[in-house]
Amino acid sequence: MAQLFPELFPELRERLLRAGVAPRHVRRYLSELADHFTDLKAEEERAGRSGAEAEAAARARLGAVDELARAMVEQRQFRSWCARAPRAMFGVGPLLFLAAAYFLACLYLWFGWRVFLPGADTPFGERNGSMYDLANIYFQAGKYYYICAPVLVGWGIGLLAARQRLKAVWHTVALLLIAWMGATAQIQASRTAVPGGLGHISMKFFVPGAEAQVVGGLVHALVIFSLAALPYVIWRLNQGDARSA
Amino acid sequence: MPAMAPRESNPNFMNGVPELLILRLLQEEEMYGYEIVQAIRSRSEAVIKVGEGVVYPVLHGLEQEGALKSRRKTVNGRSRIYYSVTAAGAQRLVELASAWGSLATAIQKMLTGVQHGAAIS
Repeated sequence: MAQLFPELFPELRERLLRAGVAPRHVRRYLSELADHFTDLKAEEERAGRSGAEAEAAARARLGAVDELARAMVEQRQFRSWCARAPRAMFGVGPLLFLAAAYFLACLYLWFGWRVFLPGADTPFGERNGSMYDLANIYFQAGKYYYICAPVLVGWGIGLLAARQRLKAVWHTVALLLIAWMGATAQIQASRTAVPGGLGHISMKFFVPGAEAQVVGGLVHALVIFSLAALPYVIWRLNQGDARSA
Repeated sequence: MPAMAPRESNPNFMNGVPELLILRLLQEEEMYGYEIVQAIRSRSEAVIKVGEGVVYPVLHGLEQEGALKSRRKTVNGRSRIYYSVTAAGAQRLVELASAWGSLATAIQKMLTGVQHGAAIS
């Protein structure tokens, strides 16, 4: 598609994405424009024009980039949710995603507790057995998932921001919230007073009190923020290089 | 290669008329974008001019509103998106045609009135 008239399509794509048009609508628009351009060029060639002349005529008939972009941007229903409600998408959305990820982590822990440690008071205690036994692998996998969840959510947000060419400020706000939530989250597990009862798992977000806690929390938040932001930063740098090339 | 300026568009075309024309054309048969633009051009005897690419946002908008439906069809080895009118689109066409008819009549009356006024003075 882009080989047909390389200088027009990337520019139109960028303009539409930056104007907040959802990527799926941009993709479809460009695909139909490419088909239309092919038909126009063929028509002009049938009329006796040379290849280059036919291409120029087809471009003129298709419309200028300004006109093509304006026609799409004016249709407000094609705007992505990130463009329509960035505060909700990048202020509340990431927190909900991370909360859902933590909920899954708690569910995973609770299931492992019931299956592998049915009599234990807590799933966090010392476990006997080989490092390679199933229980150990299960709980280690859960631990890494819990640790990586904020970073994974951050990468997802970065992908969204990059695909839709959003301003870096929204991505930064989302990552700050995720870093704060990730750095202050704690999972607690205790067995209920009822003998043989189900284990109780809960989450809380602590407020750092002591200086050591504050420093530890900040370092943790900084690590999450840096790791979550890394792919987006690399993408931005590549974009800058591509533009200056 | 000679530089070619984009064709001049008729601005009135953008004020609700594209929907009317597209719905009218697609009521007869399903078409893809290029066919629609060629049909508009030939039936209006090239009076209605438009950057041809701008027909797609209108088509997509009508589809999203439920006035059109689309399907991908391969013809002569090329995959194209064909559009056709839904029941809601047919109803929309009736409303748009009625509104446009009233407007055209009103404008005609105004123009006739101006001519009469000029003849009297």
